[in-house]
Amino acid sequence: MSAVSPVIGKVKPVSDNEVTFTVSPDEPVFAGHYPGFPIFPGMCVVELVHRGALRTAPAEAGDLTMTAMESVRFVAPVFPGDRLTVTVNWTKDRDHWRCAARATVAGRDAAVVKLRYQSGGDR
Amino acid sequence: MTADVREILPHRYPMLLVDHVLDVSPGKWVTAVKSVSRNEPWYRDGVDGPYPEVLLVESWAQAAGIVLGVQKPNPDVLSGQVMLFGSLSDIEFHRPVLPGDVLEHRVRVSRVVGETVIFEGECVVRGELVFTVSRMVVAYRPAEQLRAAEGEKQT
Repeated sequence: MSAVSPVIGKVKPVSDNEVTFTVSPDEPVFAGHYPGFPIFPGMCVVELVHRGALRTAPAEAGDLTMTAMESVRFVAPVFPGDRLTVTVNWTKDRDHWRCAARATVAGRDAAVVKLRYQSGGDR
Repeated sequence: MTADVREILPHRYPMLLVDHVLDVSPGKWVTAVKSVSRNEPWYRDGVDGPYPEVLLVESWAQAAGIVLGVQKPNPDVLSGQVMLFGSLSDIEFHRPVLPGDVLEHRVRVSRVVGETVIFEGECVVRGELVFTVSRMVVAYRPAEQLRAAEGEKQT
């Protein structure tokens, strides 16, 4: 079973701290966000950061559960056809894992995101 | 004053993530609910688990859109003033959400600075805290600004 997600497409690993994602016009969210003017929802950009984070997580972290969005800053809108690059930086802080990430399109920031996780399945 | 979410928000299926407004004080606060269903498209075959955090926050943010939108409904994202996500700080998740859960979003305006509005609040399921939002900043901007951003991308 894969995880529940509003984004159908898959992220592609580029390196140990980078993934890319091309926003297909066929993503189901576009039908309703918004009719006649498709904009990739900001929270879907955060979803791709989350997936990029899980793809690049340090092996010792094990299974990770998101415990916080520490900060999210939306810098520019993302449209169908855009190619997003997510670059992550993992750090460990006592029992928490932190992932600081940038999502860029054509070298420009779309979102700057800090997520916090904990190891193990339960919150 | 309408409390029909489709007359207030521009979002539509499958991204209209507020079902019903329980109570609203225009410009101040709102309480709104969303039922999480296994029939949402994200629960397609071969997929299972908790409702994604990003959709929890999207749903809460849409509820926030009702606080001001109820006075100036704008279901068309191509005209008038549109609400743009600016930033979020310190959203803490306390328990997972599963199909069958009914989210109750409680959203309060904490500050208004010109066309920028700052919200705070929480979401509960059956009285239990699901997540808290310390700060969400949105900006109301003319729809043309969004269209201009799209035009720029295409050139």
